[in-house]
Amino acid sequence: MDAFKLMKELRANYEQEGYYIPKETGLNLIESTEQNGAGISAKCRDAQVEDLWGLSSFFGYSTQTFVLAVNLLDRFLALMRVQPKHLSCVGLSCLHLAAQRSAPDATLSSGHELIRIGQRRFTASDLSRMEKIVAEKLHFTSSAVTPLTFLHLYHQVALGQSPSRKEVLSLEKLEAQLKACLRCMSFSKAKPSVLALALLRHEIKAIQSEDMWEMTCHLQRHLKIADAELQCWAERVAGCLSDYASPRCSRPNHKKLLWVVSRRTAQNLQSSSCSVPDLPTIPEGGWDPSQSEDSSEDLSSGEESLSSSLEGEGAYFPLHLRRRR
Amino acid sequence: MGGSSPEGRRDPGEAERQRSSVGEVDHGFPVKSPFLKMPNKTKKDKEATKSAKSSTKSSKDVSPEISDEAQQQQSGSKRPSTSTPPPTQLNKIKYSGGPQIVKKERRQSSSRFSLSKNRELQKLPALKDAPLVDREELFVQKLRQCCVLFDFVSDPLSDLKFKEVKRAGLNEMVEYITHNSDVVTESIYPEGVFMFSINLFRTLPPSSNPTGAEFDPEEDEPTLEAAWPHLQLVYEFFLRFLESPDFQPNVAKKYIDQKFVMSLLELFDSEDPRERDFLKTILHRIYGKFLGLRAYVRRQINNIFYRFIYETEHHNGIAELLEILGSIINGFALPLKEEHKMFLIRVLLPLHKVKSLSVYHPQLAYCVVQFLEKDSSLTEPVIIGLLKFWPKTHSPKEVMFLNELEEILDVIEPSEFLKVQEPLFRQLAKCVSSPHFQVAERALYYWNNEYIMSLISDNAAKILPIMFPALYKNSKSHWNKTIHGLIYNALKLFMEMNQKLFDDCTQQYKAEKQREKYKLKEREDIWSKIELLARQNPQSNRLHPLRPGLHPQEECMVYSEGSIPLFSMETETPTAEDIQLLKRTVESEATQGMKDMRKEKVLTRRKSELPQDVYTIKALEAHKRAEEYLTANQEAL
Repeated sequence: MDAFKLMKELRANYEQEGYYIPKETGLNLIESTEQNGAGISAKCRDAQVEDLWGLSSFFGYSTQTFVLAVNLLDRFLALMRVQPKHLSCVGLSCLHLAAQRSAPDATLSSGHELIRIGQRRFTASDLSRMEKIVAEKLHFTSSAVTPLTFLHLYHQVALGQSPSRKEVLSLEKLEAQLKACLRCMSFSKAKPSVLALALLRHEIKAIQSEDMWEMTCHLQRHLKIADAELQCWAERVAGCLSDYASPRCSRPNHKKLLWVVSRRTAQNLQSSSCSVPDLPTIPEGGWDPSQSEDSSEDLSSGEESLSSSLEGEGAYFPLHLRRRR
Repeated sequence: MGGSSPEGRRDPGEAERQRSSVGEVDHGFPVKSPFLKMPNKTKKDKEATKSAKSSTKSSKDVSPEISDEAQQQQSGSKRPSTSTPPPTQLNKIKYSGGPQIVKKERRQSSSRFSLSKNRELQKLPALKDAPLVDREELFVQKLRQCCVLFDFVSDPLSDLKFKEVKRAGLNEMVEYITHNSDVVTESIYPEGVFMFSINLFRTLPPSSNPTGAEFDPEEDEPTLEAAWPHLQLVYEFFLRFLESPDFQPNVAKKYIDQKFVMSLLELFDSEDPRERDFLKTILHRIYGKFLGLRAYVRRQINNIFYRFIYETEHHNGIAELLEILGSIINGFALPLKEEHKMFLIRVLLPLHKVKSLSVYHPQLAYCVVQFLEKDSSLTEPVIIGLLKFWPKTHSPKEVMFLNELEEILDVIEPSEFLKVQEPLFRQLAKCVSSPHFQVAERALYYWNNEYIMSLISDNAAKILPIMFPALYKNSKSHWNKTIHGLIYNALKLFMEMNQKLFDDCTQQYKAEKQREKYKLKEREDIWSKIELLARQNPQSNRLHPLRPGLHPQEECMVYSEGSIPLFSMETETPTAEDIQLLKRTVESEATQGMKDMRKEKVLTRRKSELPQDVYTIKALEAHKRAEEYLTANQEAL
């Protein structure tokens, strides 16, 4: 796509994006809700998004699917009051909807699979009902304008100027960073165009390319994005990504997950126990002058001569028994 | 989200054993020797007795023991050790619970006893009736009477009256020695030892089996000892004799010498598990009380093991011997002697190679783990050794190895873990990819182990790149759905550890896949180019096609018997047409099979259910182990 067309597309999306931003008042409500309160808190939402990220990685969904799913989720949560117990159903339906729209071909998994792997408690019919509700409330038809849309367009613009930049500015890396940001609720308030630009700038700063930086300024002017706004989000992005890049590994909690094994393995894991008293420990002998351990003990290999081991061990055959016969 | 399942810890009998060893049962075992760590077992062990979930559908909820676990587990702490070796099962055969069919032919033990010439025994007066001064002489007489041997095999009904005299005599002496003190006087020692020797030291019959093959301890029922009514009492008597408070090893050592021990060890090859059980306890006591014999016993046991591993691969008593060794290893003083370390490397590790490992594996694993608890510097050679002997074609054995490895990891030091993590996880990656679902499940279940997870998360940067490809690939391609769920859990836990690392691994994996695809395409292109060049040769039109009428691509295909094309030479995956053809063939042949099955009316026994001998089952169940009078080795302390 040539530069002119790209710019036109950018403008078009920029005008559209307002429709796809979650309602601010709704987001504020979520952020202010306390954990374990009556409604959904920011932590709940973040945990749900983490889960969706896990599922989309497992099933190999594209970034597009994941980003769309998060967008749907945020919009829905900002619009409707959802009870915490329904959150997992809402999340999964958003993911399923997004998957169906983004990749209508063979990579789709059935709702059953999603539920089973996601270790959810509800049924497939629950899932489809919820999907209908979500689609209806959000007037969702096929896609949305998300930060990813802008990211792709920006990246194309950047490449358009010189294709050799493909190696330097990796789209995959940018996508991964976007996903990292989306896991944190505070970024849902950002305008997609701004967030994407902030991400791009962050990366360009890291690779220290002067002319690409110029290009981003050009984009900013083209879309008339305010400096202050961009700066604000740029800072937040930097904070989030530095956390993301830290090598610190946290201890995961395996108990939250369901561990289902086959009957045979379960039997194997339960070792069979006998309630029979066992052999008590025999401590290795201390030095006892009356009964010392064999002097040949000190020889490390077991192949010492027989004679040394027989010393002091009693007659070869008990004397009195010879008398018997 | 779903309720969690408690870790499937092995050795849930631990909880019960622990209760017994803190003195709640009246046989008065001492608490623990100073060499053993004091395990802190409380609620954690009761949980260990609960089983892992076994359902494959949406499972029932199990109350999470999160609060208990949080209390018990300090960060990075290892599992407390078990304190006694797992007892050898008497009945090794897992009965499937089918109908018990009595075998037509009852195998008898054909221990050849040389029968005594004069077997007419006169009943002697009772010990309790005799005056105190005469008791010792009477005791000796009774002992000598019991040296008369009877025939239980070729003529079971012979000498019934005299057999009863001997049996009653033995019984009486067992009671006498248990309930009276000061009865083990100096003259009793030689008589008792001789009576034992003459009754028991015999040539064992060759292992018998209806089909003539070797006795397989997992499949075949053991041939029980026909003379057991007497032999059992002889064993009981000797055991009580050893355990008697009057017993003095200093006196006994004249009679219980190396030759005696050697003959005792030879009996361990008996097929009768009750006999081996007694032998085990007796040898254990002898080892404890006779310090001078210890080195000899260890040497001879080593010889038995060497012969087993490298020569015969047949011995019925390996599990019992390992059980004794377990209690010996438990008592090793630190620092460990070289001899013991050699034993671990040269004997215990090679024991893993043998085909019949399943018979004695719990005891072997226990020994290995105890060694590592004593001296953690042995960890690296042990794990490298296990990886060297890792089974490649024997899947049940692989599951056993995974069990053992998990137990080792439960007690491993973090510094030792660092040394072995890479080869270890490379092997685990292979296990996770195994098409045998039990192997894959068992390997994936490691992720449910808290301590292992803490070790992994401390070293995730090295471990995840090794595990990721295997996990990710099998999340799609494995045939078993349960495995998918477990892989998801494992991946999810990795995700929680460090997201960037996970993303990087994903990217790397995808890049690798792309590269492979690209290479494949390149190869195809090169082949086409070559073909094109070859066709330009003016003589090429003179070549006859290999297989006329076929599409050039099909010419090079390999066909199986059912004329289903297997692989084309260019690519390794079957084409869509191949799959269709395969499906059609499967369907047509599958229905044919069904029709054949309906014709067969004869009910055949399932191959895995062998006919069971009721008598043997009852006999083994009736065997009572010597509980009440066994005391611990007080002298050895």
